[in-house]
Amino acid sequence: MRHFLSLIPVAALWVSPSFAADVSFKNEIAPILAARCAGCHGGAEAKAGYRVNSFAAMLSPGETESDPVTAGDPDASYLLELIESDDADARMPKESEALPAAQMALIRRWIEEGAKFDGPDAKAALQSYLPQVTHAAPPEAYRFAMPITAVAISPNGQEIAASGYHEITIWSAADGKLLRRIQNVAERTLGLAFSADGSMLAAAGGAPGVSGELRVYNPADGALLREVGRFADTAFAVTFNPDGTKLAVSGADRAIHVYQVADWSEATTIEDHADWVTAIAFSPDGARIASGSRDKTSKLFDVATGDALATYPNYGDAVYGVAFSADGAQVIAGGRAGRLDFWNAADGVRAAEIGVGGEIQRVLAAGGQIFTVASDSHARQFKADDRAAVRTYAGHSDRLQSAAFDAAANRLVTGSINGEVRVWNTADGTQVTSFIAAPGLVTETAQVQAAAK
Amino acid sequence: MRRCKRPFRQVAMAIVYVAGMLLACATTAVADEPAALLDDVARIEVYPTQVKLESARRAMHLVVTGVNAAGQTRDLTDIATFESTNAAVAKFEHGVVRPIADGAADIRVTVCGKETLVPVEVLGQAAREPVSFQYGALVALSKQGCNSGACHGSPSGKGGFRLSLRAYDAALDIYTLTQEDHQRRVNLLEPANSLVLQKPTMAVTHGGGQKLQASDPAYALLHDWIAEGGRVDAPESPRCVRIEVYPPERTLHYPATTQQVIALAHFSDGSVRDITDVAVYSSSDEAVATADVRGKVQAKDRGEAAILVRYLEHMETSRMTFLRDVEGFAWNDPKENNFVDQHVFDKLRLMQILPSDLCTDDEFIRRAHLDVVGELPTPEETRSFLADPNPWKRSQLIDALLERPEYSQFWALKWGDLLKLGNKRVSQAGVHKFHHWLVSAVARNMPYDEFARELLTASGSTFANPAANYYRTATDTNECTETTSQVFLGVRIQCAKCHNHPFERWTQDNYYGIGAFFHRVARKSGSVPDELVVFASRSGEIVQPRTGKQMPPWLPLTGDAQVPDDEDRRQAFAEWLTRPENPFFARVAVNRIWGHLMGRGIVEPVDDFRDSNPPANAPLLDALAEDFAAHGFDWKHTLRTILNSRTYQLSSRTNAFNAQDVKYSSHTATRLQTAEQLLDAICQVTGVPEKYPGLPAGIRATQLPSPDVDHPFLKTFGQPARETACQCERGADSNLSQALQLINGPLVHAKLKDEHNRFRNLVAAGKSDRAIVTELYLAAFSRPPSEQELAVADRHIAASGDRLAALEDLCWAVINANEFLFQH
Repeated sequence: MRHFLSLIPVAALWVSPSFAADVSFKNEIAPILAARCAGCHGGAEAKAGYRVNSFAAMLSPGETESDPVTAGDPDASYLLELIESDDADARMPKESEALPAAQMALIRRWIEEGAKFDGPDAKAALQSYLPQVTHAAPPEAYRFAMPITAVAISPNGQEIAASGYHEITIWSAADGKLLRRIQNVAERTLGLAFSADGSMLAAAGGAPGVSGELRVYNPADGALLREVGRFADTAFAVTFNPDGTKLAVSGADRAIHVYQVADWSEATTIEDHADWVTAIAFSPDGARIASGSRDKTSKLFDVATGDALATYPNYGDAVYGVAFSADGAQVIAGGRAGRLDFWNAADGVRAAEIGVGGEIQRVLAAGGQIFTVASDSHARQFKADDRAAVRTYAGHSDRLQSAAFDAAANRLVTGSINGEVRVWNTADGTQVTSFIAAPGLVTETAQVQAAAK
Repeated sequence: MRRCKRPFRQVAMAIVYVAGMLLACATTAVADEPAALLDDVARIEVYPTQVKLESARRAMHLVVTGVNAAGQTRDLTDIATFESTNAAVAKFEHGVVRPIADGAADIRVTVCGKETLVPVEVLGQAAREPVSFQYGALVALSKQGCNSGACHGSPSGKGGFRLSLRAYDAALDIYTLTQEDHQRRVNLLEPANSLVLQKPTMAVTHGGGQKLQASDPAYALLHDWIAEGGRVDAPESPRCVRIEVYPPERTLHYPATTQQVIALAHFSDGSVRDITDVAVYSSSDEAVATADVRGKVQAKDRGEAAILVRYLEHMETSRMTFLRDVEGFAWNDPKENNFVDQHVFDKLRLMQILPSDLCTDDEFIRRAHLDVVGELPTPEETRSFLADPNPWKRSQLIDALLERPEYSQFWALKWGDLLKLGNKRVSQAGVHKFHHWLVSAVARNMPYDEFARELLTASGSTFANPAANYYRTATDTNECTETTSQVFLGVRIQCAKCHNHPFERWTQDNYYGIGAFFHRVARKSGSVPDELVVFASRSGEIVQPRTGKQMPPWLPLTGDAQVPDDEDRRQAFAEWLTRPENPFFARVAVNRIWGHLMGRGIVEPVDDFRDSNPPANAPLLDALAEDFAAHGFDWKHTLRTILNSRTYQLSSRTNAFNAQDVKYSSHTATRLQTAEQLLDAICQVTGVPEKYPGLPAGIRATQLPSPDVDHPFLKTFGQPARETACQCERGADSNLSQALQLINGPLVHAKLKDEHNRFRNLVAAGKSDRAIVTELYLAAFSRPPSEQELAVADRHIAASGDRLAALEDLCWAVINANEFLFQH
């Protein structure tokens, strides 16, 4: 049913040139490495100290100090020796099926031909130049609602974008009617952000454990404008900087990537956290970026240089949401501990805290207000100046996963793990509309009836 | 300090004790010869005898057993043919009966010309039975080992994915599987793409390797559970009440070497479900038998093994015995002194192991002294015993030893270890009072039930009633639970404090249920320094930390106990514990006695009773326990019974048929003397006693009230610091520092150099070389030297030119001889 996984090798074969042409690292070797090797030999804790997450890393020996690749001499290439081994215990990939003979032959031939690199940057992640894929279509009708892991409100306040399965759905903010479905989207979407002019919708996501990506769509017609980045695992958070010139994304690759919107080049890569970077927020002046991570810290970086400016190590549990105070002096972090910590950007010291409850999944701050959504199914509003509770938004029946706030329109949008989206008026706390963001959802009763027929 | 190197010649000259010739036993590598199994099948049995399949998801394994005229069994499951009499209702494929449509059918089982019908009832085929979270998904994760302690079941999980250890916490597991991290681990719309299936099948690289295949039953369970929405079970869903394993026990004679084991779960709705393919199997002894993932047991050698079958928190065993004729084996009908010998010899005969001969009188007197009073016999005692012509002298010696004051001192040492007696916990004054209490209790042979009750229900000042120190050395409810379980129930329950025991039936609820009996024990300071007053409070309930539920008092194998609030709950516990029919109390006690005398418990370790650690001889353990209870829990009676058995008095020299045996008491196990025994023995051989600061002169190491004397020699040889109630705290391993202590240590050196040691006193008294050497042998080995040994000694003394130095060499060699260091 799902084709995504098989797409990588298929794409590789599709671009396979005839035997006459040289084997392409970018198009033929990199997809194999990404799919079959990088899981164990990818990240910081790579097995045997050997990494294949980039071309440069692939050439560099691991703990065994045997040359993985000797250009022109396949039989002196340790990588190939392990891949071709007859000993199932020694063979790579470890404890798995051997590579198909055709792939082994391809790697052998590529080494014979000189192990040439035809990608853009030998040090860049393999995923960044893998052939772009066309994603599978979303289900015509959902059998189950997917968790609403991301929502966004269009700048004019009229439309709501919500995460779907291989799609992003666009709904009317006024009455919850489905307006459009954007396709060619990764399996999961975990972060959504509109550009200030509403011409772009950035989507961060991927297939869990398999790949991650950052794509930009035209929200009006659903056209894919650009694939901005490709990662080894899902991307979680995406945000434009205040003047709209930069787009930042963070994810399971433990990194924050900042791109220039003008030419989509990667301006800064920040690899500082020890675990997933689950949340990011630009400072009001756009010069700094705050982050939250599953490594239980919240950090602050200089956007231009990528330098770490401050670390807040005292949250005590995974951080899932960050925001800036209006003056940029404090970072507000929330997460699994169910607590909002306000820490000073200047020295990383806690200035204040609010006990919220549940697991906080998102933190938003704008228009003098702070919002949280949590696993206890409640959204909460606080005043930014004195941190006083304004109100609790009750009505959802399951864990909340996502939220967006439009200060100009006084609208809060909340998304639940059970597929429900609710739109609230933040001026008076009333609910504006709600809907299940799963087009054509077949109820269980209907499924049982259909099965009976 | 320096000591001259002694030539190895001298060490060799020292009478190196040969523990027994290692004769290679004909190791029985068993092979399967199915043809030989079929010759003489007299009848067949099929289990289960009838089958009820109540939904499309149910199926049932059948096990076919052939029985020959001699009553011997063999597993014919693999060679029988199975045929449904109504293929529209039920079919038989891949070893299981599967339902097709509602109705009735028979499965006709045919093998070796014999035939049996198994009636099958099929119903509920129209309804859809969802896959249970608990009994489907969690069972599958447990089956594949995903939630084992080394993988995602470790406290911090692996790779960011954490499951509860062997699924003890379903609430945590549903959270991490379906909620945490944006529900990334399951894919409700395309279940096969769920990370939780892609990773273990290595479709996505998995640090733990390939743990699952699409063809595994566990895969289908996980897949279907996700496809159905990944939900928790409805609160009213049927629950597994118990599991049943077939066959519960089986003896197979070579060439029968395999057995299919099946597991059935009995649910609260009365249904019986086949869990053979998803239960987890392991063997208590992999050298004897192994079990594969589908419950097929394969013998590896003759012997006994328990096959453990686990299903979530449930556990049962199938006890397997594999027999094979040993070439040349003929039972020699040794004399049986009492019921101990009867049970031991029954087992030996069955296992075709020949017991060793009776030990000699000199071996016996040494062995009995060390075991009963903890010290070597004196040369005088040995001489008079060896010279005694009375045929009952062994029994008489046993009786005499049991009445000696050293007996109570020695056993108080053992209790002091288990009860953690030491200055740190009960203060110096407390140590002496509690030690005195223990010595008196042993001396007057306080019945063991009374002993346990005195300790468990003790209240008042720990000075006035030293038994109350039981609640001083166990400082809180959890420690009381753990100490009581280990000392009196033989159960190491510590694991269940934080999670259900990973390998055993003990759950976290059980731990806190036992704890409820001790939770009301309160402690306050007394009127004098270091005094503590223990009392039972009338209220206070214990809460299970994971569920937050208040736990009522709970008794193993009995269940929740009702104890009125005005009653001390400890009374109720002690009353239950000391009932003659209590399956733990007497067994653990006699096993401790057996382990002490024989060097290895019938259950070993002696305080680790569990299904995965079956007794080497269950009838013997039962008989000893029954006899112990029937005699009013008389500790000395049981000691006397075992000491008088031929089994106890067997030689440590092995024969061709028992050299490999360590389990069945076919010969005496040689073992290093304990730290205290060894120190006392060195003092005796050299004739130079040890002095302990703050204690009266003449006190021996085995009589020390606590290890607080901080003696380096004792520590080196494994004296426990008494931190835990575990027998295992007493180190039994030999190590290099022990060798250094003996060869070159200050203690041995000082005693050899002492101006008034045994051999110097004998020299001063004008004794001949031979008289002195004889005296040394009697003191150290409890036997006179042989003529050859005397001749070697003569030559050494003559060659040396320095008589005193030569005698010192001899004494040193004696102390370093295995015959001295070991009990045998």
